[in-house]
Amino acid sequence: MKKIKRHSLIERIEHWSIAVSGIILLFTGLGCLPLYKRYYITEIPGFGWTADFYTVTLVHYVASIIFVSAVIFHIFYHGLRKEFGLLPRRGDIKNSFKVILAMIGIGKEPPSDKYLPEQRIAYVGIGLVVLTLTVTGIIKVLKNLEWIILSPQAESINTIIHTLTGFLFIFVLIFHVGVVLLFKSNWPLLKSMFTGYVDEEYAKHRHSLWYRKYKN
Amino acid sequence: MKISRRNFFILASTISASFLFGNKVEAVEGKYATLVDLTKCDGCKGESVPLCVKACRDYNANRFPNPEKPILPYWPRKTYEDWSDKRDKIDTLTPYNWIFVQKVNIQGKEIFIPRRCMHCDNPPCVRECPFGALTKQPEGNSVINDKICFGGAKCRDVCPWHIPQRQAGVGIYLQILPKYAGGGVMYKCDLCKDKIRKGEEPACVTACRSRSGKEGVFTFGIRDEIYALAYKKVREEGLFIYGDKQNGGTSTLYLSAVSFELISKALQDKKERFLMPVHVENKIISKFNPIGKIVLASGAISMIGATLAAFLSKKEKKEACEDEKD
Ligand code: HEM
Ligand code: SF4
Ligand code: SF4
Ligand code: SF4
Repeated sequence: MKKIKRHSLIERIEHWSIAVSGIILLFTGLGCLPLYKRYYITEIPGFGWTADFYTVTLVHYVASIIFVSAVIFHIFYHGLRKEFGLLPRRGDIKNSFKVILAMIGIGKEPPSDKYLPEQRIAYVGIGLVVLTLTVTGIIKVLKNLEWIILSPQAESINTIIHTLTGFLFIFVLIFHVGVVLLFKSNWPLLKSMFTGYVDEEYAKHRHSLWYRKYKN
Repeated sequence: MKISRRNFFILASTISASFLFGNKVEAVEGKYATLVDLTKCDGCKGESVPLCVKACRDYNANRFPNPEKPILPYWPRKTYEDWSDKRDKIDTLTPYNWIFVQKVNIQGKEIFIPRRCMHCDNPPCVRECPFGALTKQPEGNSVINDKICFGGAKCRDVCPWHIPQRQAGVGIYLQILPKYAGGGVMYKCDLCKDKIRKGEEPACVTACRSRSGKEGVFTFGIRDEIYALAYKKVREEGLFIYGDKQNGGTSTLYLSAVSFELISKALQDKKERFLMPVHVENKIISKFNPIGKIVLASGAISMIGATLAAFLSKKEKKEACEDEKD
């Protein structure tokens, strides 16, 4: 069967470095809250290090090196290449419903470009959460360095936004992983996130607009 | 908590102002400092309660917690921290006692040490609170906001002296998931925030000086002057100093005729709840900040890398297109 290139190596590296570092950030971010000791997580073999806030936060810092680099790379690389295929378009909300209904077997999917309308909506959601975490996280790094001195209220508000958006990250992560794994129609995309390619048949069938452009 | 439009505006403008003006927006260390001259403290011999302790308890009485009972244990644990039946305890820090006087015996000499929050320059309790409940004020004091404190006691864990004290059964956690998250509200000395903002002295400072026939133990004033005074006394009177280097610097300077190594050891030998280790590393500065610099640097490098990669790949694309046309 013929294969069509969907994800470049750069895109795959971006995706997986944000995913892996994001999960580490989530785990260590929750560890920055006084929770793990209370719930005996620190007593699970191999998790003793989570008992010390300074160690957990240090791992949070280290993971944020990858996260921040990947997020900034993503914005600048695709922004400068004018690749805006993941930004929402008119009619995406209506069409998202159709896509989701089709995933559970009701009706037919509308013809799609490289990305499904539902993916474009989800991208904005995930993007806003990730961007907020990155910006407030960088501000936290800067205030710890005392390179910026925030007013007491500003420091408080920045902290609260980071913590609350951290919780939102749990929801967007579960939503994103859930939609990919739960619906068989999305599995070719998952494979492509590893290999870079989708079957021609799949592209023709599900991303007819993209397929047509690709053929020209 | 409500984040009003005004606060949001303050946030936005402070962030941009901070970027523009760097460290000049507000001095890092804060305005004031306190000198605690241990050579002058006799533990208030003859008084039933040391005057500094009494003054603090009186001045802050209306801010002490009044927990609702029964108090839920910290599920899945069976314990909770409740000091409400020990309000009269004055020989240690509790949510109802923010300063106390320690006693050690060194080489036959009694030394009394009034202990409270040190008000650190880069305070871990403030920087690490996940709810932004602790703030460092321009006056240099670190203050707990009892309306947003969740009572997780992280501030106590990250404070090198474990100063903040927890009372269960009060605070915002009761309104959210009282059984599963949060544990009360933390309390500690805030350097009499309302008084010092008005330019007055903290209550304990005034009370100590009011003791008849005695010089005050505390000298409260402009930070630079207090530091200068402390170092002068170190030089001229051969005293030892504590608090200027510990945890990266604080705004509480102890002076003593015996070395703090000895005091520290005596406290340790007595198995005191509150110690005075001589070497106190500020782990935000020593552990986090070097990595923080790498985070920022790699962000910048990534930006440059992405820009280069984008232009190079565009050029390639263009050339490829032109090749096709030929
Ligand atoms: C998936 C993304 C992330 C999640 C889920 C997350 C979550 C959290 C949570 C829940 C906390 C605890 C609240 C607190 O201690 O203030 C935290 C703390 C923190 N986060 Fe994140 N975070 C993420 C990304 C980032 C990024 C990208 C950075 C840096 C640029 C960052 C820097 C920090 C810092 C400096 C702290 C404070 C640690 C401390 O000093 O105690 N985080 N994070
Ligand atoms: S009031 Fe002064 S003399 Fe009395 S215990 Fe406190 S610091 Fe010492
Ligand atoms: S002594 Fe402890 S509670 Fe006080 S400012 Fe320093 S870290 Fe915070
Ligand atoms: S400065 Fe104020 S709050 Fe702190 S111990 Fe003295 S009286 Fe109490």
